[in-house]
Amino acid sequence: MERIAILGAGVCGIEAALALRHREPTTPVAIVTDEHDHFFSRPALMYVFAGQMTLRGIEPHDRELFGRMGFERVRGRVTALDTAARRLAMDVGPGIAYKRLLIAAGSKARPAPWPGSDGPGVHAFVTLRDLERLDTEARPGGRAVVVGGGLIGVEVAEILAHRGVHVTFVIRESWYFPVALDARESALVAEHLREHGIDVRLESAVQEIVRAADGAVRAVRVAGEEVPCDFVVTAIGVVPNTQFLEGSAVSRAPSGAIEVDDRLRTNVPGVWAAGDCANVTWADGSRRPEQLWYTARDQGRIAALSMAGDEAVYRRGTWYNSAKFFDLEYTTAGWVPVSLDSENRPLAPDPGLRTWFQRVPGAFASERIVCRGERVVGFNMLGGRWNHEPLLEWIHERRSLDWVLARLPEAQFDEEFERRFRVSSAAQLS
Amino acid sequence: MQAGLINTYQNPMQNRQWPAWALSAALLLSYLALYFTEFFEAPARALGLGGKWTLYGLLYSLAMVVGGAFFLRRHGNSRYQRIRTLSVIFFQVVFAFALPIVMKVFGHQEYYFSYFWPLKIEYLYPDYILRQPFLVVLYSFVGSLIVLPVAGYFLGKRFYCSWICGCGGLANTAGESFRHLSDKSAAAWRFEKHSIYAVLALAIGATIVVGLNWAVGRDHPDFAAFAFRVQQWYGFVVGAFFAGVLGVGLYPLMGTRVWCRFACPMAAVLGLIQKFGRFRITVKPDMCISCGNCSTYCEMGIDVRQYAMANQSFKRAACVGCGMCAHMCPRGVLKLEVRPDRAKGGSPIRVYSVDL
Repeated sequence: MERIAILGAGVCGIEAALALRHREPTTPVAIVTDEHDHFFSRPALMYVFAGQMTLRGIEPHDRELFGRMGFERVRGRVTALDTAARRLAMDVGPGIAYKRLLIAAGSKARPAPWPGSDGPGVHAFVTLRDLERLDTEARPGGRAVVVGGGLIGVEVAEILAHRGVHVTFVIRESWYFPVALDARESALVAEHLREHGIDVRLESAVQEIVRAADGAVRAVRVAGEEVPCDFVVTAIGVVPNTQFLEGSAVSRAPSGAIEVDDRLRTNVPGVWAAGDCANVTWADGSRRPEQLWYTARDQGRIAALSMAGDEAVYRRGTWYNSAKFFDLEYTTAGWVPVSLDSENRPLAPDPGLRTWFQRVPGAFASERIVCRGERVVGFNMLGGRWNHEPLLEWIHERRSLDWVLARLPEAQFDEEFERRFRVSSAAQLS
Repeated sequence: MQAGLINTYQNPMQNRQWPAWALSAALLLSYLALYFTEFFEAPARALGLGGKWTLYGLLYSLAMVVGGAFFLRRHGNSRYQRIRTLSVIFFQVVFAFALPIVMKVFGHQEYYFSYFWPLKIEYLYPDYILRQPFLVVLYSFVGSLIVLPVAGYFLGKRFYCSWICGCGGLANTAGESFRHLSDKSAAAWRFEKHSIYAVLALAIGATIVVGLNWAVGRDHPDFAAFAFRVQQWYGFVVGAFFAGVLGVGLYPLMGTRVWCRFACPMAAVLGLIQKFGRFRITVKPDMCISCGNCSTYCEMGIDVRQYAMANQSFKRAACVGCGMCAHMCPRGVLKLEVRPDRAKGGSPIRVYSVDL
């Protein structure tokens, strides 16, 4: 059987399939998914929930794509992988045989670990099924507790609040999103969230999900206090969706992420892995999965070339990302140190780093520039739009703080007529 | 998330369900009655407005003011949207409504200062020109033939279609709730490219025929009769039926820019100029999450997402520069810009694994 099987129809799987089709116009390609017939933008699920877009609208391609490209669509859940026989066993049907396999199974929500987590009324927001379940439960006037101070948590808080649900946003750490924001930036976000009616609770570790006699969620016990609610959404991170590899020859890290080399090959010949489920080497040398949209896309493309026999190597470039907290836009580029450790203790500041920071006067915005010695190494910009390309360029060119401050307006990407960057008297270097 | 757009797809009026069809039918009937009957004359006189067109102008301006307030409540957090909306309302209320009335009061023929040839085709018809004061004729010629093309080159067609024009003004204010209904299919784009330039050709042809007739019609009665029919048919089919009846009547079914996109000869001219001009939408590379807000809410049916996903900055003749794609984008990927084309020097080199 010549067939290439691609496990997962997310951005990684689809980009891999398209790139493979480009290199190998006639090889049979099967795409296996248990979620939806067509590729859709996962980060856009929130807009479908809110009724701002339709499911069709978040599908980037026309619905004839599979037919036109000659992709075979296999619907179902993969239950096991037999690498010796080169077969995927599935929950329905006889399973499928492959010659080359790409595992692009992505992530799934980290399960809620607290007592009372099992049962109805405890949701996640990662998959289309999650959306459908949450959609039936979230009613205007209802009360929800959203757990987890990351990007999915704030998105869920946003869509629920827009639906008229009273949201208590429970965050274990001392401030929101400490992996990316410092205390000052996070205070800005928290203020913004509170303006939108979100009850933000910091330093609030969940102890238990309290259920009524009939089993329905009644409250969440947080730091000794019961927060009454009708349902809970957990957004405490994602884990690699690789349980089906249990017992297979494919080697995984303790996190469950599939170990791959820089050509995205697993330890088993004929099997590649890419996207959220693959353990790759980061610029700092650590090995972790990259749970980002654009890295999943890039890895999918590189995996396809690697599968086609090219000497394609995946290298993660300098870090950048963007996000949006309600109306507050966020752009980061380069090296911005994490401010709390995993136990919520402040990390000792790196003595080699200096930080330039200003809360922009007259705007709900802040700008942070991280320097190592004379050289700018990172940016954390909140409340405006920034083009990460020049920011990265300046980092790579080893520019100084003064040089960067003078040219920063060139990197602004706001709508026309918005404020122009300037150094205010509130700016401080520490 | 845009607060005003929540549940857009749950609202029957915004999803081509029966209320939308009913509204569309009511609009179509009202426009047919306005253009082809004297139905609105009596109420207009009863209100002391002189005639049905003054009543129409009043209702149109009111719709834009109320619709503009509605729009600003949704999207007024953007300075571009604020300025654009106030501008388009100003031009409608002052240039297209108040000034013509003032002219009438002083015994002049009314003149809509925010419209130009070829959108108002009669503004270059000789017999129309001859009835106007010299300054108005100068305004019309300089506007149509110099100011608009030059401004289109430097600013993009948006300076007219989204900042001045009453047709676009109504679309972006009272019609705002229907912008997502524009057809995004490739077939619609193909049709648009044929239809809009066909109407432009008709407009230019009609102007030439009517102009020639002024010069030679007295000696050639057959040509005079032909020119009269051309003038009448263009006014009937394009001016009344496409621009008026269908242009607004189809808002609830096909979105707000049906006229602007498929038929407006002014949009055609400015679009061609825009293609070679300085206005473009710049795409920030490798940041698009393919969500499709930009494409969904593009009133001109441009599939903006395809450009964003391909990291491709673009100029499209159709784009009226309303700025909603950029405004909606949750990752700030799109930016409306005016700047000269840069020399082709390739894309920046990507650097990996730098020690930070």
